[in-house]
Amino acid sequence: MKFVRTILVLLVLLTPVVSAVEVSAQDTVTIEWWSVNSEEYSEEAQRALAEAFMAEHPNIKVNLTILPESGFQDKMTTTLGAGEGAPDVAFFWDTNWYPQALDLTAYIEADPDLGPETYFEGFWKTRAVWQDKVVGLPLGVGANFVMYNKDVFDAAGVAYPTDDWTTEDFIRIASEVADPDIKRWGGDRPRDAYRAIWNNYGAFLYSDDSTTVDGYFNSEANIAAYTWLWDLVASGATPTPADIEILGTEGTGPVDLFMAGRLAMATLNQGHMLNAIEAGVPFGIVPEPQVPGNERYVNAWSLTSSIWAGTEHPDEAYEFLSYWVGPEGQRFLMENGNLFPSIPEVLAEYEYADQDYAQAFFGVLELKQVAEWKNEHPCFGTVNRAVSDVWDLVELGEIGRDEIASTLNDYMDDAQAALDECVPRLGG
Amino acid sequence: MVSTWRNMSPRTRREALEGYLALLPWIIGFLAFTILPVGISIYLSFTEWDIMTDPKWIGLDNYERMFTNDPLFTQSLKVTGKFVLFSLPLKIILGLALALLLNLKVPGMNFYRTVFYIPAVISGVAVSLMWMWLLQPDTGIINTLLDQVGIKGPNWFWDPDWALPSVALMSVWKVGGSAIIYLAGLQNIPQHLYEAAKIDGAGRWARFRRVTIPLLTPTIFFQLVIEMIDSFKVFTEAFVITQGGPLKATFFYLLYFYQEAFENFNMGYASALALVLTAIILISTVILNYTSKRWVFYESE
Amino acid sequence: MSQNSITTPRHRWRNDWWLITRKIIGHVSAYVIMTALALVFMIPLLWMLSTSLKGRWEIFAWPPTWIPETFHWENYQEAFAKYPLARFMGNSAFLVVMNIIGELVSVPLIAYGFARLRFPYKKTLFMLMLSTMMVPGHIKLIPLYNVFSRLDMIDTYWPLILPSFFGNPFFIFLMVQYIRTIPRELDEAARIDGAGTWTILYRIILPLCRPPLTVIIVFTFLWTWNDFLQPLVYLNDFNKYPIAIGLAFFRGRYSVEWNLFMAATLVSIIPILIIYFFAQKHLIGGISSIGIKG
Repeated sequence: MKFVRTILVLLVLLTPVVSAVEVSAQDTVTIEWWSVNSEEYSEEAQRALAEAFMAEHPNIKVNLTILPESGFQDKMTTTLGAGEGAPDVAFFWDTNWYPQALDLTAYIEADPDLGPETYFEGFWKTRAVWQDKVVGLPLGVGANFVMYNKDVFDAAGVAYPTDDWTTEDFIRIASEVADPDIKRWGGDRPRDAYRAIWNNYGAFLYSDDSTTVDGYFNSEANIAAYTWLWDLVASGATPTPADIEILGTEGTGPVDLFMAGRLAMATLNQGHMLNAIEAGVPFGIVPEPQVPGNERYVNAWSLTSSIWAGTEHPDEAYEFLSYWVGPEGQRFLMENGNLFPSIPEVLAEYEYADQDYAQAFFGVLELKQVAEWKNEHPCFGTVNRAVSDVWDLVELGEIGRDEIASTLNDYMDDAQAALDECVPRLGG
Repeated sequence: MVSTWRNMSPRTRREALEGYLALLPWIIGFLAFTILPVGISIYLSFTEWDIMTDPKWIGLDNYERMFTNDPLFTQSLKVTGKFVLFSLPLKIILGLALALLLNLKVPGMNFYRTVFYIPAVISGVAVSLMWMWLLQPDTGIINTLLDQVGIKGPNWFWDPDWALPSVALMSVWKVGGSAIIYLAGLQNIPQHLYEAAKIDGAGRWARFRRVTIPLLTPTIFFQLVIEMIDSFKVFTEAFVITQGGPLKATFFYLLYFYQEAFENFNMGYASALALVLTAIILISTVILNYTSKRWVFYESE
Repeated sequence: MSQNSITTPRHRWRNDWWLITRKIIGHVSAYVIMTALALVFMIPLLWMLSTSLKGRWEIFAWPPTWIPETFHWENYQEAFAKYPLARFMGNSAFLVVMNIIGELVSVPLIAYGFARLRFPYKKTLFMLMLSTMMVPGHIKLIPLYNVFSRLDMIDTYWPLILPSFFGNPFFIFLMVQYIRTIPRELDEAARIDGAGTWTILYRIILPLCRPPLTVIIVFTFLWTWNDFLQPLVYLNDFNKYPIAIGLAFFRGRYSVEWNLFMAATLVSIIPILIIYFFAQKHLIGGISSIGIKG
C-alpha cells in the first residue's frame, strides 16, 4: 500500500498543477448542480434559472452541469459510490441513492415557505419521504395515460375511447381500429407488468409485509392481468415486441408509430403530449383502462431532487434546492420550458389549463398512484426482474391461454427466491 | 529471484535490467490504475455492498451463492459460452477472408477498404439502434428485402432461437475492424518467400497454405485471444437491444454483472461475478497460449 | 517478371496478352465481389443517411422509403445549431492526438521489452498484462474515480489521456506479435556493428513496424473518438465534452430525435474515415516492399 501511495504521489508531481490554488475570494460558496436536458426543461431554461437565483443570492454561485439522459445514472452512482465529486444538488431519481441524500427534515420544519402541504400529497408521500426522512423535494409531475390519434379513429369510423372505459373495451376498440394491411396497430400495451393495469386488476407481486409471493403472484388477480395481456397479443391488434422495444422509451409506448399514424392508441406521457401538439397531430387523452369494481391507478411520477449528504455547504445547497423545486423555480421552468409543476397552486396557473388535453392530464393525476405500493417495497424491481420470463412467454405467444396459471406456478420458486435474497439487503 | 540474479552474467543482467526499464511505463500504469481497483474489487467480492453505505464483510457467501444457488449465473454463463463458441470462429475466418480480399493490389481498393471499415466505426449505441430497425421482423429493411426474394425472414432479436445468432451477425458485420489487423500482419510476409514457392511450382492455394498461413499465425493467435476476450465481454448489444431477452436468450454475463452492480446495487456480488469472469477468460487464454507453441510460428525464434 | 526465360517477340506478345486478360478477369471478378459485399455492408449506413434526411415523424411511415419525399438538409444545420458539435469534435480531436502520442511513446518500448529482451518472470508479466484486458471495465469505475479524484484530476482531460502513456495492452500485444516475426538476425547484425539495445529499437525495429503503428493510430483514434463512459464520468464542464457525449444528447428522456441523431452521428464518423483513408497506404506495403532477405 505504501508503495502504491508513493507511486500516486509521484504521479501528482509529474502532472502540472492543474487546479490553481483556490481563490476563495469573499465568502462566495459554489454549489454544484447536475441536471439533464429534457423536453420539460431545456439547457437554456435551467441556465437562466441558475442566473435568476444567483442574482437574488450574490453569495452563492451555482455551477450547472448538464448531462445526457443516458449517462446521468452511471455518473451519479459512480460519484456517490466513490464518496467524492458528487454534486451538492441533483436529481436522486434512483431509490437506491437515497441513503446518500441529506435528511431535509430540519430544514423543512424551519422553512416558513415550504412544507409537505406545498406539493401534491401523492408525490410528497412517494417522492420526498423515505423511511421517515425527507430525502428530497419532488420536481414536476409526469404520468402515463393513453393517447389516441383522432385522425386514425375518424378514418376507421370508430368511436373515441372514453374516460370510463375498461380493459375489455381496450381490446375491442384496438381490434376495431387496427388494419394489418397498412401495418396499423390498434393499441399498445404497457411495457412492464405491474404498472397501472396490473394494479387495476388488484394484482401485486408479493405480500404487503414482503414475506411471501404465495397468494399474490399466483392469485386470481394476477392470472386475470396476464390473461388480458394474452388476449391483447392474440387479437393481433397490438404492435409486436419488436416495435415496442425499438421505439418505446422510459416505459412508454412507441411514440414514433403513434405520431406516424400507425398506432391508434399508445401509452404515453405528458412529454409526448407536447410533441403531438407541436407536430399538429390531433389527439385525445384517457386514463389507462379500468377493471370494473376495482380501484383505478395511474403510473405517475415526480423527480426527487436532493442534496448530497457529503456536501460541504448544506445551508446554501438547501437555499438553492428550495428555490429550484419551490414555487419560484417550478414556475420559472413552466414559463420558460414545458414543466408541469408538482405544486397545485402553480400548476393552476398553467397557460393552457382550460384546454381539453390539460384537463384530461390533470384528471389522470387525481388517481391513486402505482408508486404508493412500489416505493414501500424496495424489492419490487428485483422480484419483477426475476419473473420477467412470464411476460416474454405471453408476448411471444409461447404459452396457451389456459397455461397462464400453471406458468405462474412454475415461476413461484424464482420469485420467492428473489424476494428472500433481497429483503435482508434492502428491507421489506 | 535473488539467486537467479546472482547467477547471471553481467551481460544477461544488463539485458534484464533493460527489459524492466522498457516495461517501466506499463508497470507504473499497472500499479497506479489496475492493482488498486482490482484489489478493491477482490475485497468487495467478500462483502455485501450497496454502493451507498459501508460494505459488510460476509466471507465467501457471494461465491457460495454463485456456484450453488444462482440460476441466473448459470444461464448467463451458458449464453455467453455459446456466443463465444459460435461467433469466435466466424469472426476469425471471415476477418481473414476479408483481409485477403482487401489486400489485392488493384486500383480503387482504398475506397473499398474504407467502406468495409465503416461498420466498425459507428459507436456501439448508434449501431445497435440501427440494427434494431433493420432487423425489425415485419417492417425492417432486411426482412422486406428477403420477402421480395420469397424468403420469410425470422423474428431476429425477438425470437428466442434467433436472438443470439442476430447478435453474432451484428458482430460479424463489424469484422472490417479486425481485417485491418490481418492486413497489417499480411504486410510482414516477405515477398521473396512467395517467389520461392512459385519457382517450386506451388499454386495459389499451396502458396496460401504453405506461406501465408504459417507466417500469419502470430496475427491469427493475436486475433484469437483478443476476439475471445471481446466475445466473453459482449455487452452493449444486449444492453441496448434485447435487455437479455427474449426468455434470457441473450442474457450475457456482463449484462448480468451490470444489472447486479448498477441496477440492483449489489456491488459485492457483482465484484465476485466480475472476478470469476476474469478467471474464466484468463484460464481460456492460458490454454490457448499453451497450444500456441504447436501452431504459432515466429520467424525470430 | 519472367527474367529466366528467353522469349522471342511473338512469344512475349502472346504472354503479355494472356497476362493482361487474366489480370482483367481477375480485377473484374474482384470488383464484382467487392461491390456486392460493399453494398451489403453499407445497407445500415444508407438507411442512416436516408433517416437523417427525413422529417421527424416521417421516419416510421409505412411503407418505408429509402428516398425521402423532400430532402430535409436542414436537419444537419439543426443538429449543429442545437449543440456545439463542432466544439465537441474539436475536444475529441485534442484527446485523440494526445492519446496517439501517449500510445506511440509507450507501446513500442514496452512491446520491444516483451518481444526481444530476456529477463526473469517475463511470461508471468506478459500474462498479467493480458489479464488486465479481461477485467470488466465497469468494475474499475468507482475505485478509479477515487484515484483520479485524489490526484485532483476530476473535470480535467488528464484521466482520459494519462493512461495512454502507460500503454494499452491491446496494442502492446499486437506489437509484440509483430516484432516477433521480424528476424532476429537483424538485431544481431546491428549489435555486432556496435548498436545498443535502444538504438536497435529505434533504428532497426521501429522503421519496420509501420503497419502495427498505423493500426495503433487508427484504433486509438476510433476508440478515443467513440469513448463515452470515461469522459462522462470524469468531465463536468459542458465545454469540455467530446463528441460521443454530444451525440448522446439527442436521445432525450421521452423520445429520440432520430433524424438529428443520425445526421450528427454521420457527420461525427467522417473524421475517422478520412484518417483511415489516408492511413491505409502505410498499412499496406510494409516490410515486403522494403525487401529484406531473411
